[in-house]
Amino acid sequence: MAANDIELRRLVIKAFHMTDVEMGEENKITYNGKMTINNDCLDALVAKYSDVIDKVDVKIIEPGDHDRFTNTIMDIIPISVKVLGKCGEGITHTVTGVYIMPTGVDTEGKQAHEFGSSEGNLKDMLYLNRAGTPADDDYIVSFDITFKKGMGQERYAIIEAYRMIEEWMNVFRAQLKKFEGSKCTERHEYYDRIRKGQKKVLVIKEMIAHGAMLDTWIFPNEPSGVEGGKSLIDYGCTPIMLTPNEFRDGAIKAMN
Amino acid sequence: MGVGPSTKETSLHHFRDPLIKVLGEDEGIDLMGVLVFGSPEGNEEKIRVSRNAAVIAECSRADGVIVETDGWGNLDVDYVNCVNEIGERGIPVAGLNWSGTAGTFVVHSPYLGNVVDFNKNPEGIESNIVGENNYTEDDVRECVKKLKIAMLKKERGLK
Repeated sequence: MAANDIELRRLVIKAFHMTDVEMGEENKITYNGKMTINNDCLDALVAKYSDVIDKVDVKIIEPGDHDRFTNTIMDIIPISVKVLGKCGEGITHTVTGVYIMPTGVDTEGKQAHEFGSSEGNLKDMLYLNRAGTPADDDYIVSFDITFKKGMGQERYAIIEAYRMIEEWMNVFRAQLKKFEGSKCTERHEYYDRIRKGQKKVLVIKEMIAHGAMLDTWIFPNEPSGVEGGKSLIDYGCTPIMLTPNEFRDGAIKAMN
Repeated sequence: MGVGPSTKETSLHHFRDPLIKVLGEDEGIDLMGVLVFGSPEGNEEKIRVSRNAAVIAECSRADGVIVETDGWGNLDVDYVNCVNEIGERGIPVAGLNWSGTAGTFVVHSPYLGNVVDFNKNPEGIESNIVGENNYTEDDVRECVKKLKIAMLKKERGLK
């Protein structure tokens, strides 16, 4: 920090790295890098969203094991939870080493996409090691959704699907929230700061807000979450200012 | 996935956004904030919201602006209008945008010279490969360099 800088607020993101992801008796994550997934909960989850969802198949994809068919990839979502403070300040816990990959198709075989579909062989259709995609050595949890007929193209059905994924993720979030911060594998401190005397630069991001699969939500209750968030469409697409830390704290959720 | 899979930013991309990372680490920049606007469907709305964004840049006395979008095609209408409105207000502007060969600008402005094309596909097309045509830290550094030169030129009264 330069002498003239004024720190406005601090955000600490603590990462807990998963090295071992496998099917187990319950949906659980632990400090020692172990995550287990159990699919017994899926029937009840699907029943709750049965207006639009026909079935869900959750699978673990091990690093490098990408030579397999995938339905169209809807998003890549980190598991994060707010531990202390509001969005953009305080403490956030996040999981690294494994990311959630929702994919979608309907009962008629129509892929859940709007403009271009990424269904095919996963090793060909997912470019690894980008900011927005898993790395070579990351696990992927494939959350494969089969929508009711035609529902993969309906905006409310897509929103319902994301609500369902969040409900599933919340089991892990609740555990992650209670993790002892000192046992994190990475710790990052971010500041909203005024760098006095330097050039003032504004970032403007134009984000899609057309409708189903072309939607962006802002300010969810939990980082990269859904509940509590609002679509930019509902804001009339009017510009909204975020601090850099709010942006870093998962204030934006792609609802593609 | 939206317009289209290879350019679209995932929720993970937003969480680990290279643009915010690089700008936040640059001690020569006072990062004011991130102004987000939705790209609506209708043309009149596109012009309204993108102009709104430029007005906020002016009213908040930004020395420079970086405009970014992960969309193309009809999203160029609001993108280019935003860059144009900022340029016309005399504010140095740079940008990040996917063009390749398939997504070149469908509308134009004299202020697009500092926009970095972050295409990564060898043929310059929307390949449907998730993440392929996303910008990286290198693209951001290139964009920041262009903005810094533009801001310096303005400061020194150069064209």
